Amino acid sequence: MLLRNAEILFNDRVSPELYHMGLLCPEIAARIQPGQFLMVRVQEGFDPLLRRPFAVHRIHHNDPPTSFEMLYRVVGRGTRLLADMQAAASLNLLGPLGSGFQAPEQDGLVLMVAGGIGIAPLPHLAETLVSSGFRGPFVLWFGGKTAADLVCVKHFQDLGFAVQLVTEDGGEGLQGLVTGHLEQWLSQQDELPKVMYSCGPYPMQRLVAEMAARLSIPSQLSMEALMGCGVGACLSCSLRCRPPEGAQDPHYANVCQHGPVFDGEEIVWD
Amino acid sequence: MANDSPISLAVELGPLKLKNPVMVASGTFGYGQEYAELVPPERLGAVVVKGISLEPRSGNPPPRIWETCGGMLNSIGLQNVGLRAFLEEKLPWLRPLSVPVIVNLFGNTVEEYRELATALDGQEGIDGLEINISCPNVKAGGMTFGSDPEMAFQVVSAVRSKTNLPVITKLTPNVTDITVIAKAVEDAGTDILSLINTVAGMAVDVQTRQPRLANVVGGLSGPAIKPIALRMVWQVVQASRVPVIGLGGIVSTEDALEFLIVGAQAVQVGTANFVNPGVTLEIIDGLEDYLRQQGLADINEIIGTLEVPRGPVGIGE
Repeated sequence: MLLRNAEILFNDRVSPELYHMGLLCPEIAARIQPGQFLMVRVQEGFDPLLRRPFAVHRIHHNDPPTSFEMLYRVVGRGTRLLADMQAAASLNLLGPLGSGFQAPEQDGLVLMVAGGIGIAPLPHLAETLVSSGFRGPFVLWFGGKTAADLVCVKHFQDLGFAVQLVTEDGGEGLQGLVTGHLEQWLSQQDELPKVMYSCGPYPMQRLVAEMAARLSIPSQLSMEALMGCGVGACLSCSLRCRPPEGAQDPHYANVCQHGPVFDGEEIVWD
Repeated sequence: MANDSPISLAVELGPLKLKNPVMVASGTFGYGQEYAELVPPERLGAVVVKGISLEPRSGNPPPRIWETCGGMLNSIGLQNVGLRAFLEEKLPWLRPLSVPVIVNLFGNTVEEYRELATALDGQEGIDGLEINISCPNVKAGGMTFGSDPEMAFQVVSAVRSKTNLPVITKLTPNVTDITVIAKAVEDAGTDILSLINTVAGMAVDVQTRQPRLANVVGGLSGPAIKPIALRMVWQVVQASRVPVIGLGGIVSTEDALEFLIVGAQAVQVGTANFVNPGVTLEIIDGLEDYLRQQGLADINEIIGTLEVPRGPVGIGE
């Protein structure tokens, strides 16, 4: 964990609500593992007060890596301030934080599922798996409200992913919810995935975890929570999990420290 | 050169001697380890650990946090590992460090406070106890004890009777007259007072018409509450004979100085750790710089030096 000022390399609007930010900070870049996140101070001063958590989207693979990217959706005051920032400005980062994705135990079909801005942490994972010699095949199921949500698809295709798109309005790909189509697709596969990686809204994550459990596929879900500190001190970002042996029930795990990536079997869904 | 003259930040709060007056507040710094990569605990005046209860506590269901204008509401519900895990897993890491460790403790009943004090007394590596009678986020105990002078007296007496460690009592601001509680716990034998804990508050999502916190109400912290905290510290300093630790919304050297000037002998920094993990180190350096600028050599020269131009002023007068 480092506390550093990064230089903003670019901060581009890539769809009506989504921004893509490049950051130069060699010390942090060299440490980031797939699925980890950063706590970003969106401006000096104390209103808004708290840092915001953001997934790392991609690392730039120069050797050693010196820069990386975030993909974020403008949802409130903090992200609006972030969207207004210009290249060359400085941004204070705390990170990398949390425990990220684990590689599959064996080669074979790798399935990623993303809903909306849940796509954010998956490119770094995809690149890492491909560059560390996993041969796949790789499949991404990506759902959004409209076609505008479906960003960075070409990037996955270039890495050799088969990409299945779903939109709620049918503007691109299949119409409906990604989980419905995914379930049907899974039922038609001869080879089941070795692992399901997923990031998206809570109801989607729940359905993915339940699907994975039914088919005995290990699942790794990147979960979201309102956070205070990002390091396990404030105990705000609780997610209800199965209690470890001897522990109390209900048992709450910190998303920032134990996660953000959880084994789907650990989570007790609302 | 004047700039090289030695500056002393050391303070004595009755039996508690600190190398500088900057502590971290309970519940904002974990057990010291969480921020150790960024903040060497040994540079701090003292570390106050997350509140400990006899048995582990799960805490409240989420959502537990909501950001407000210049502040944050929380309703953690005193989630903690419990006494045994603290002694076996957390204290051994803190013990070898040359920094005073203050254990914040919490019970559902007077008897639980007594048992905790008994268990913690004599443990190597513990330098003081902070009695939490001010948590707004739990059903039993907590603020209920801290807002009733008779109950507060009983809790502090129970702890006092079982330990020779320095005893700090942490007060809630959610009372009409905080000096009444301060006097009660002073009579019960507290060595030191710390104030304020969070201010009870709430927030509502107007789309769903549901409270932002699952617990409905929570405690407000952060710079939004600093003027309230400062006023209460000033009142308690005047009404009380024991040393006072000031906290509530401190984010900068200037904030810390305000508390010292109104008479706090030390400060705790809480929510600001989340925003700027290096804030305590910046304040320690900032206090030295301030003393140099003022031509002073000792932090004690500014403690309790508030100058009120036109005689004592009462609230609302």
